[in-house]
Amino acid sequence: MGAGTLIRPTPLKSSPLSQQRPPPRTPTPGYHSSNSISIPRSSTPVKASSSLNSQGDYGGPKPKRECVADWVSQNDDVVRSLPIYVGGLSLLAVLVNRTISGIAPVADASSSQSRADLLTLGLAVTNILNGLVWLSIRPKSVSAVNPEGAECQSICPLLPDFISSELLWVWESLSDATCCRSLIIVYDKRVILQIGFATASSNTHDAVVVDVDKLMKGSLYQGALKSKSQSYLANLSLYPAKSELPFLPPNTQAVILQPLGDKGLAIIGGDMIRGFTTSDQAWITLVGEKLDATLAKMNNIPVNA
Amino acid sequence: MYAFFLQICSNSIKSGLRMSGTALSPFPLIPFSFPPDIGNKSYPLTKFPTRKLKSLAKISCSRSDNSSHSTSQQQQLNLSVLRFTFGIPGLDESYLPRWIGYAFGSLLLLNHFGGSDFSAITPAQLRTEVLGLSLAAFSIVLPYLGKFLKGATPNNEKSIPEGAEPIFLMSQNIPDTLKEDLAWGTYVLLRNTNTISVLIFIQDALCVRGYWNTPKDIPKDQVHDWFEKEINKTGLFDLRETLYFPQAEELWEILPRGTRSFLIQPVLHTQDSSSDKTEMSDGFVLLASSSTYAYSSKDRAWIRAVANKFRDPRNVRLMSALLR
Repeated sequence: MGAGTLIRPTPLKSSPLSQQRPPPRTPTPGYHSSNSISIPRSSTPVKASSSLNSQGDYGGPKPKRECVADWVSQNDDVVRSLPIYVGGLSLLAVLVNRTISGIAPVADASSSQSRADLLTLGLAVTNILNGLVWLSIRPKSVSAVNPEGAECQSICPLLPDFISSELLWVWESLSDATCCRSLIIVYDKRVILQIGFATASSNTHDAVVVDVDKLMKGSLYQGALKSKSQSYLANLSLYPAKSELPFLPPNTQAVILQPLGDKGLAIIGGDMIRGFTTSDQAWITLVGEKLDATLAKMNNIPVNA
Repeated sequence: MYAFFLQICSNSIKSGLRMSGTALSPFPLIPFSFPPDIGNKSYPLTKFPTRKLKSLAKISCSRSDNSSHSTSQQQQLNLSVLRFTFGIPGLDESYLPRWIGYAFGSLLLLNHFGGSDFSAITPAQLRTEVLGLSLAAFSIVLPYLGKFLKGATPNNEKSIPEGAEPIFLMSQNIPDTLKEDLAWGTYVLLRNTNTISVLIFIQDALCVRGYWNTPKDIPKDQVHDWFEKEINKTGLFDLRETLYFPQAEELWEILPRGTRSFLIQPVLHTQDSSSDKTEMSDGFVLLASSSTYAYSSKDRAWIRAVANKFRDPRNVRLMSALLR
């Protein structure tokens, strides 16, 4: 055991290396949580009285299915190039119309036919350009990389209940809402939580223990705490400072370092390059502040001999 | 003619050129800045190769990351990105096809009725006009379709409904930790999502924050009771699934006027009864927004996470006991 570490590695609940991947976090069409499917109903008038039946189910109005939105989300590529085809075909149609009607293809606004043609051409060009814009702002599809290593769920055993439940809530939220696969929380010179995937040590195939002193002397930790703001390493393979985080699985793609006040750091490892969106970053900042407020209430936990 | 500023931001940086060399700015008025080095700064490199312009002060294009392209990645069209702006802040240029559709469509009609006399309208012209009008209709619908594409930037402008006042109400007889959690939860939801009003109702504790339309004739100390009464009318505490109304008018009296979309997230915990697991509701979180389609799936995932914070601590403690 390294000096100063209080982690007692607990027995793993599931097989270490091949863990079933949680359901994908790509945006799914449909507007209901994955827990249950709401029965689509046409828009109902509001009934003022709540209808409680004997099982205590909710009986009020429910949202109706959004056909257009679902269809567009599912056929993203088709919809993106649709305006281009529509615009292009209309362009050709206008020209063909002019030629078969025997009118000279001269672009002037003298006759009302020419004016109508010009307006239609303008609309066709607008559509084509809009289609081009949509195609160019298509988000890059990055695939998730399954982390290599052992799963671990270690928490400092001497924490009061409210702190350990809060830590577990943080892990549950991050793993559910973002691409986070590893979470390490260091506070007050100790690792108080190490959960998710971690590097497996070569001889025991268990998760590697974090060397806190070495981490705290490293540039990543120092830099994060000095700047007091979140640090997002969107593509970890580009950073030489990656060697300061040997406990994360070697193929971790992105890392967020969130300082917790001036005494702690949360290290969040993800499985996709640029996997944490700006919205995720804002949420992680706020969750970090909450966690810092909670951890500050912790009295001095005695170091285990 | 329209005097729009055309910014061409080249996306073909695969050759590794610096941005200053390749950025073309025919109109020198718009300053152009490119992202700082990927150092320790927390500059967010988003997933999307370009970002929608909201203000003109900064236009940034992120580099396409060559080193990480996996072979299984889709073929990407290497197009230059065209960005039209009028230079007016707050104007959403993605609605340009709609305006053009309306304008050209009405001009077409004007041309048809007000142009040369009726008898001279040829079938060719009629064909063109029909084509033009259908194109105009398509252009009008286009921004609506574009909202549902991946990578569409949501409209984050919150408009405050008229007659609504900001309130912050919390039940009094609850433990301090719950009060702190409620205050934090409502603050975070108001700040990070496109929400103007939030209500959290957990095990008889109520917290209301944001802009609400409370009836004016009720004295201050009875507002709490009014909210509870309205909640009883809706029957929401039996809810067991997330309800998201992306385009609804106000269904219940409790919702502020001007609500265009709202979401109700129940706070659930599974209870192992004798035969099977049932999900019991501890309460719910109600969020109302003044724009339609306000909550993306990412927002909903985080709202679920915040709602889980309010689960009954007795059930949560079970989880941490398993780790000892």
